[in-house]
Parts: sequence; C-alpha cells; structure tokens
Amino acid sequence: MNARYGMVIDLDRCTGCGACMVACASENNVPSIPQATPRTGLTPMLVRRVSNEMEGSARREVFIPITCMHCERETPCVSVCPQQAVEVDKATGIVMQMPQRCLGCRYCMTACPYHARYFNWWDPAWPAGMEKSLNPGVAVRMRGVVEKCNMCHARLHSAKAKAAAAGRREIDPADYVPACAEACPTAAIRFGNLADQNDPVSQEAHSPDAFRFLTRLGTEPKLYYKSKEAWVRALAESTSANAEVKHG
Amino acid sequence: MKVTRRDLLLWGAAGAAGLAITPVPWKLLDDVSIWSQNWPWIPQPTHGPVEVKQSFCTLCPNGCGMRVRMAAGWPVGIAGVASHPITRGALCPLGYGAHQLNWHPQRLRTVRHRTNSSSWEEARAAFAKACGEGPIAIIDGYPGRAASSVFESFAQKRGSYRAVLGPEMQALSPYEMWSGVPAAGLGYDLENAQTVVSFGAPLLDGWGTPGRFTRLWAERAAGSTDPQLRLIQVEPSFSGTAPSRTATRAWQWVPIHAGAEAALAAGLARVLLDEHLVSVSARGPMPPITLAEAADETGLSIGAIADLARTMVARPPVLVIANDGNPAIAALNVVLGAAGAPGGIVRRAKHTESYASAAADIGSARAVLIDSTVPWNFAPPTNAEVFRFAAWDGGSCTADWLLPAPGFLEELTDVPTSPASAIATYAVAPTLLKAPPGVQSAAQFLFLSGIDPTLMPVEKIIHARCADLFRERAGTLQGQDTTPVAKFASVQKLEEQLWKGAVWIGEPPRSAAFRCALKEWPATARSAQSMSSSSMNWSKAWRAPVLPPLASKLYQESSLREAPEGRNA
Amino acid sequence: MASTTFTDTRWIARGEERTSLPQFLLWLAPWAVVLALGVYAAGLCLYYGLNQTNMDNRFAFGLWIFLDLGIIALGAGAFFTGFLVYILKRAELQPILNTAVVVGFICYSGAVAILMVDVGQPLRAWFTFWHPNTHSMLTEVTFCISCYLLVLCLEYVPILLRNRQLRKLPSFLVFEHQLHKLVPVLAGVGTLLSFFHQGSLGGLYGVLRGRPFAFREGFLIWPSTFFLFILSAIASGPSFLMLVTAAVEKVTRRRLVPPELFQRLGFISGVLLAIYIAAKSIDTLIWLNFTSPSVGFAPWQYYNYKPFGLPILFAEIVLFGLLPAFLLTYRRSAKRRGLLLSAAALACVGILLNRFVLTVQTLALPTLAFDEFLHYTPSWQEVASFGGVIGYGVIGYSLSYRYLPLFANPKGDDPHVSGD
Repeated sequence: MNARYGMVIDLDRCTGCGACMVACASENNVPSIPQATPRTGLTPMLVRRVSNEMEGSARREVFIPITCMHCERETPCVSVCPQQAVEVDKATGIVMQMPQRCLGCRYCMTACPYHARYFNWWDPAWPAGMEKSLNPGVAVRMRGVVEKCNMCHARLHSAKAKAAAAGRREIDPADYVPACAEACPTAAIRFGNLADQNDPVSQEAHSPDAFRFLTRLGTEPKLYYKSKEAWVRALAESTSANAEVKHG
Repeated sequence: MKVTRRDLLLWGAAGAAGLAITPVPWKLLDDVSIWSQNWPWIPQPTHGPVEVKQSFCTLCPNGCGMRVRMAAGWPVGIAGVASHPITRGALCPLGYGAHQLNWHPQRLRTVRHRTNSSSWEEARAAFAKACGEGPIAIIDGYPGRAASSVFESFAQKRGSYRAVLGPEMQALSPYEMWSGVPAAGLGYDLENAQTVVSFGAPLLDGWGTPGRFTRLWAERAAGSTDPQLRLIQVEPSFSGTAPSRTATRAWQWVPIHAGAEAALAAGLARVLLDEHLVSVSARGPMPPITLAEAADETGLSIGAIADLARTMVARPPVLVIANDGNPAIAALNVVLGAAGAPGGIVRRAKHTESYASAAADIGSARAVLIDSTVPWNFAPPTNAEVFRFAAWDGGSCTADWLLPAPGFLEELTDVPTSPASAIATYAVAPTLLKAPPGVQSAAQFLFLSGIDPTLMPVEKIIHARCADLFRERAGTLQGQDTTPVAKFASVQKLEEQLWKGAVWIGEPPRSAAFRCALKEWPATARSAQSMSSSSMNWSKAWRAPVLPPLASKLYQESSLREAPEGRNA
Repeated sequence: MASTTFTDTRWIARGEERTSLPQFLLWLAPWAVVLALGVYAAGLCLYYGLNQTNMDNRFAFGLWIFLDLGIIALGAGAFFTGFLVYILKRAELQPILNTAVVVGFICYSGAVAILMVDVGQPLRAWFTFWHPNTHSMLTEVTFCISCYLLVLCLEYVPILLRNRQLRKLPSFLVFEHQLHKLVPVLAGVGTLLSFFHQGSLGGLYGVLRGRPFAFREGFLIWPSTFFLFILSAIASGPSFLMLVTAAVEKVTRRRLVPPELFQRLGFISGVLLAIYIAAKSIDTLIWLNFTSPSVGFAPWQYYNYKPFGLPILFAEIVLFGLLPAFLLTYRRSAKRRGLLLSAAALACVGILLNRFVLTVQTLALPTLAFDEFLHYTPSWQEVASFGGVIGYGVIGYSLSYRYLPLFANPKGDDPHVSGD
C-alpha cells in the first residue's frame, strides 16, 4: 500500500527556536554560507515569524515552519521542470528533487507558491576538515542547482534497509522520522503517513483546527498546520484579514 | 582511385549512421553527464561504519542528553535523547550544529602568550611562578563537576574559587541569603506549578534546560485560552525591537517600563497582602510602596496591577521567576508562599555548597585561571595575569595566556544537576572523540603542574562519585529502562550504565525542606538588565566562544533571529 | 585615392558603396568595448557562479529572462516576414527579408548565449533533450528554440554565401543555390516552430498555478498567454524591423528600401497590435473577474504596491497598445515618418513592458498571506552581459550590412542575379 507522508505542524506549540532549521541543515549537508543573506540563503526548512500587527500587550506572534509541502495534485514544480529532475514518488508521496540532473534554470522556483525551493548561488564549502562531519547518507550538491526538502529520504532508506535486514517488508514508523520532527523540542512538528487511518498524524490532519496554506490554488499540500487561534488560521489564504499594504 | 564528392558524402553518412548504432556516442554522452554531475572539488562525506553513541553536551551547565551519530569515528549528526528525564529529547537550536565545532576555523591548537606563540612548558612555568608569588583566583563556568572539585581543592589552599552563575542560579541567591540553603541546592518546581509569572526570564527561549519548560508549556498551555499552565510574562516593551518569543506566545504579556520589575513585584505584594489573597501562614513582609507609586513607575494602572495580582493567585500553585538576583521578585515568591512549597522554589539536594559569584571582586589575586566553560565575554576587571583556557578563540582576547582546551566531546567529564532543575541528577559524558595533540583542560593543567600533590585526576573523582552513588543506594538510573540504584549488584554495573548514557535521578524534593526568614521587604535598585533592549534567548545563552557554523541559518540566511552582538561567529 | 593596403573593398559587393575601413572600425570600436565588457561580466558569472547577479531565491528570474523574452518577441519579425513572403506570397516585403533573417539570427543567438549564462549548470543543458518532460512548457521552448536557431542558421547561410569572395567558390555557389530552393520549406518550418515557441514562452507563465498573477486558463493545455504571446510577437516583430531598417538608413545615410515598405510594415504591425490588445483586454477582464478570484486572489492584491499600480496595466493596454495601433494604421499619421517610427517604438516598448510585468512583477508579488512585496535591482554583471548582446548584435548586423547584400540594389536589380 502506498504511503502518503506528510506532517501536522502545531503552530500553537512552535516557539520559533529554529532547532528544526539547524537540524535539517545538519542532516542534509547544507553548507553555511558566509556571504548569503535571507534572500540567498539555503534553508530547506525555514521558520517564518508573523505577528498579528497589534501593539502593546495585544501583540501576538506565531512562528511558521515552512518547507516543501509535497503537493499532491498537479504538483507545480514537477510539471514545469524541463528535464524531469523533480518527480513525485508514488510509493511515498514525497516530491523528490534530483540535484544531479538539475540544470539550474530555476523555473521550479518561480512555480512554487510556498517559496520552498532554494538555489545554490555559491559552491558549498566547509572549513578544512569539517567535511568529515558530513552525513554519509546524503549527496552534497554543487552550485547552480536547486534543492529543497525531501523528507529526509536518506532516513527512509536506512529504515528500509533495517527492515529488510530483519526480514520485514514494512518499515517500523519509529525508524523513519525526519530531522526537523525529531529535533522539535515541543513536538510541534509531527510526521506521519496520511494514508494510514490509524496514524495519529492522519487523524490530526482532519481536526477542525487544522488547515493548509493556499488550498484554493489546488495544489493539495501534504503539510497541515494547526492552531486554535483564529487570526493564525486566517493566514491560510492569501488575503490576510488586515488589508494593509505591505512594502518589501 | 579518385575520391569524389559523392564518395565523401556517402561514406560520411554511412559512418554517422554506423556510429549511432555503436555504444560510442551513447557512452560518451553518459560519461559527459556523469562528469557534469560530479565535480571533483565538491566535498564528499566520509564513508565508514556508522554507529550511534550516547553522551551529554557539556557546552553549558544544562548538560543535555545527546545521541551522536558517528561515521568512521567522526560525528556526523546530533539528536536528543527522548528518555532523558529533564530534556525529553530536546536540545537548544544551536546544539544541532555542535558536532562541527571542533573544525571551526577559530579552534585553538597552540598556546599563546599575549600575541606570541608559546608552549605548555612556558605556561606551566609562569603559572608556578605566579603560585609562588600570591593567591590564585580560579573562575569556573560550570560548577559542580569533578573538574570543579579539582579547582576548589586547589583554591582552598592557594587562593579563591568562584563560579559564573547563569540567571537561573542568580535568581536563587536571595533565597540562599534568607534560608541558609545554598542556591545550588534549590530548584524550580515547574512541573507542579499552574501559574508561572516570569519577570523577563526567557522561559520559552533560552532559560533552563532547552526541552523542559517549553515541553511543559506546549503540552499544557499552547493554544488554549484557559490553559492548565498559565504563563504570564512581565517584560518591558522597546520600540523598534520585537518583544521576546516568551512575551508574544505567553498567555499574558504585561509590558512595563524598563527597570520597573522591583516596583511591580512590590506593588503586587501589596495587593496580595492588602486584599488577603495569600494565606496567613505564608505571609511575608509588607513592601514600603503604595500602589500609586508602583503604577507610576511601571506604567500600568492601579487597576491593572490589582487585576494581575488576582489573576496570579487564581490558579495556584504560582511560581515567580526572575531573570537576575533581584531580591524584590524573590520576596514576592515568599509572600506568595512559593518559597519552599510544591510548584514553587524547592530544595532538591541535601548537601550542596555555596558558590562565590565570579561577578564579585577578585581582590588581590596574583593570577586568575579561567576555565574553558566560562563565557567568552566574561573578563574579570583585574590587572592580574590571566590564564584563559578555551577550545576556540572568540576574538578580542585580553588574557595574557590563551591555552587550548579540549573541544566538543573530547574529554571525559561528569554532568551535575542542571541549574534550574527541581530534582538532582547525575550523569557521565564519556569522550567520543580523540582530542588533538597539544590541548589540555584546566583541571589536567593543575594536576600535571604538580604544585598541589593532593589533587586527584578528574577520572578518579568521577569514579569516587559513582561509588558514593552506589553506596547511598538512593534514586534511580534512567537509561534504556528505569532501575533503582539499590538494585545494582556492583558499582561497575552502575558505571557501565552511566558510561552508556544513563542518568541518575535523585529523590523528588521534599516540600518542607527549607524556609525563608524575611522580616523586611528588601531594598533594591532598578534592574539593570532590563534597561537594555537586548533580551535573552538561546543565542545569548550559548556559552562557547564561537557559534556553530550552521547558526548562520538562523541569523544570516534567514531573518528568524537577530545576530547576537559581540559574537565573532 | 583610396589606400590600397588597408582596405577590404574586395569583400564588398561590386557596385555597392560602403564607408572606408578605418571609419567602419571606428564605428565598431565602442560596440566592441561593450561586447568585451559583456563577455567579461558573463565570464565572471560562469566562473564564480550566479551569486554575481542580484537574483535570489524569491527573484529566481530577473533581468536576463525578461530581456530574453523581449528580444525573442522582437525577433519574431524573422519568421513572420518569411511567412508573409513565402507562404502568403506578399512580395512587397521581399526587400526586408534578409534584414529580418539577420536580425532574427542575432536575437535568437544572443538570447541562447545569455541563457547559457543564466542557468546554473550550462554543461547540463542537453539533459532537456535526453530527459524531456512533455508536461513542461520549458521543454517545448528548449526544443523549438534550438530547432529554430538551426533554421535561422540555414536561412542565414545563403545570405552569408552571397558575399563577394565566398561566391567565388563554386561549391559554395551551388550550395547556396540548393539552399535557396529550400527557403520556402524553411519558412514554413520556421513559422511552425515559432508559433509554438513564442506561444510556449507565454505558456511558461500562464501555467503557473502557484502565481495567480500570471496564471490563466485557456484552450486545452494552452493558457491564454500562449496565444497572447504569439499575437504580441507578430505585432512587434514588423515594428522592430522597421526601427532597425530606419536606424540603418540613418547611419548609412542611404535609402535602402522603398518608403512604402515602412508604412506596410507599420500597417501590419498596427492591425496585429489592435487584435492583440482586444484579445488581451478580454483576457484581462476574464482573469480579474473569474480566474484570479477563483484561486483566492483579489485584483486589488496585485495593484496595491507602489510603483506597480494600475497605471502599468493602463500603460500596457492604452499608451503602448491602443495608441501605437491607431497611429500605425491611420493613414494620415502613418504617412509621417517620425510619427510612424515613434508608434513602432511605442509598440515595441509595450511588448517589452508586457514581458517585464510577467517576469518581474509576478515574482515581486506576495503569494502567502505573510509574504512581503519584494524589490530587485539587477547587478552590473547582469546589465553588462546584456549590453554585450546588444554590442554583439550591432557588430553582427554591421558586418552583415557591410559585406553582404542585405538590401536589393536601389536601382532595382536583384544582387542575387548579378555576376560575381
């Protein structure tokens, strides 16, 4: 039975610490780039800070971890890549990026409404000797290619290898947890199989407080967010309740 | 034979067609594609046998449990330990990049004397000379370790021992003054509190052990309008600077004027006492301030202060947490009856010692020895010769001697109870990596100097402590399973578990274990810390001289956090 | 007396007058500097990587893509003129045909050169041919533009072979004759290829369901922008050709084509422009009232950010659309050369503005509720690289004009027929 791996991210629990961002970069051999800015950085997991724009004690903030939503329907990036360097893995629902095939045309980056894709504007470099700290399961990318979250696919491989060694066909769910979900100190990021009705994540995705971003675009993202605060849920669609003009 | 144009064309076309059905062009294309996919200058990960080892992070006194994934003997990934009783699998955000620290370009590998290169022999000679000429002050950033007892033994005969205390411990010093119980024996019983009022302490981002309060808050409070754990954050609001995460995610944020914490604490105590909102047995002294004065200084209305006081006691137990040693806030806890009660300030250990704060005057020390655990920006105001141990050079060093200490996971050490914990814990962090040649810890340095022959090596002290634990037969060991200490057959078995990453947990705190005697409301100055707009968070709580390289994801490659000032990343 | 040593008259067609070689080199010199600077800037980007540009993760497409789309649209005169002359048998456009091919060749080769610098891994560009994605508009664009560049080369070669010295080689003469027979076929193939790639360039944006500002519905698999791009390209192509020819006439101080040709080109351009504006207006109304709201985006969300307000839409449709369409088709204005050329320029600017809006404004606009409106300014390397293409274009055209018979002999003789 094909899995549909997704997440439920409880925004009420996220404190914006950034552990998921660092753990993701560590797991996926993302280099630290001294010359990068927030617009050219490599952050496959990125926590956005959003406030309700009120002053004084009424001010509230929410921290929103944004990463690839692994869209299920007419996945925007998959349909636009000229050389099929992105595809949806039917067995897992994971949108897989192949940096080795990527030409670096960045068309997929314009297609993604969630801004979840990042380009290697520089060659990756680590201080002398630090490459020994690279994760052996993950290929290091070169400059000029696009990268994004791939649900820590190397961990899925390890889980499958472990299951195969034990003679099992199905992996043990506890063996496959992406770095961000594992690192989150408040268990705000929960990972699971949306196709499995018994999976608590699958059940949470149907709770009344759960929502997804920009569902009206029809991309069917597999990352669900959850909040009991109405102003946070109102961020789901593009028109924010506060119709102020914002300048970048 | 004349070769005509026709022949050329014929042979050319036939040749091209023939070539197309050989593997040659396809193989060449394949090779070109592989070549363009694997540039030789791109670093490759080490491949080798992968194993997961357990240890503890010793970069700050919280001592979080850590699983380290190692490939070919090098650390390639960090994760928390879910079974750890305090951290419950959490680490601070920067900890996930700590495994790269040992290769940081600012790693110290040679002894430096002022601006010149030097050697351990010369450093030892200078230190021996200093010992002969006057008292030595030893500054420890991580008190309670086996290494700390080496420092204390040495300092007993030859000078003074001081500890750098974080805000969690500093906030406990008023209770030490009033009860006689050392602050190191006290903790915050957050697990049993239902209302927590923080005066500027970044409880959700950089206070105490990373997973502890945030997990409690996430499970009991997050998102709820009527939470089981009410977090009230008292924090000044500065225009142009975003309020802290704790303020904007708390159940209530009380913005006051900067430096008015003591006034608010006094005002709240007045309301609590005037309106008999606290039980008679717990009553403390009346603060010498009127509500109007408190309102004036804090910027809140009288009604707001009264409402806050009533809200505070609406769901007891209530615990007030300060972010520094402000006695007014501690006095508020005494008034509330939280000092020495469940859900408040509790006593977690029977025998502990009192630490002299490093912030106090060094006095007439001839030399100062600063351990590598002391925060980089701590510079004692002294003309004495400074021997600074550190694994990394944080820049702008004013020390006379810069001595390279072991880095991350490179030395055996033990992990005493973390500063804010409500229960006593003990663990051992084994060495996972071989330290590079030429590094030495401060404790080793003192031991090897031979100046005090009664000093014991750190390893021996740790074994002695384990033997003490075994002998006392108290507490449990939490590893793969939870086992009472009494059940262990030998000290070797106990040590085996500890070396594998198990944590010893002491008995739960007894509520009537300490009492504060406070006759008069303490006189206080305005809180200096909150006068600046830079609030504490995990980036400021990070103790090591340099940030892990991946910290750039938080400050520079995104706008999630502001870069910490004075850091030479 | 002309200096006999430093001269290249033997390369110039007999009977044609060209300026002296030193004068010509003087004309080329500044353009060569611009080209050299462009090559240097492009070299920096190839060597150090795309961090030399000011593009970033939010502005993944920048100046280069905008200008690429722009010059491909303006270079559409190449295929369209061929189509009109060989398929629709409009012989009055024959004099402009060679210029159209040269301009087209320059535009397309320049665009492809810039694209090779714009991609992160140019050596993998051929992967598109190896692993094509049939769903992607960009695959279609890659195939068709590559093939069309080949067609343009084949159309350019005969012109090249008509050079005085090259004609002396009999095999070249024969080859050129053979190729000449192929030209109608090439024109037909070129039209087909151009139809598709001009359209697919529009399709690039129209299929972006993640960017409601650009997303359009359409006919079968093709969004409306597919057809709008074709229309705008064939509307601007003749205008651009007119401007190039007028510029060449000005610089060489000669009358190279019959004056009625300008008006004819203008008329064709104007009519097509009017059709394009009508189609675009209908499309905009449908988009603003149905397509965009259906995906949750209200029109005011696009036009509330200074300086990208409604004035840009107004400019595209009225100032650079209806106005030049009128001026180009209305006989009394079309008769006046100055007005005609201004109208042609307005038309070209309008098409460039449309490409800019779709490339840059699309990416500047927020999609998530908490996004901000972003700004982007190209770096000097980006500007210089593109300047290099312009330098290349001027030099290429100047060389073609000097050594090749681009225009029919003013006396009316077809230089193709004359002796050597």
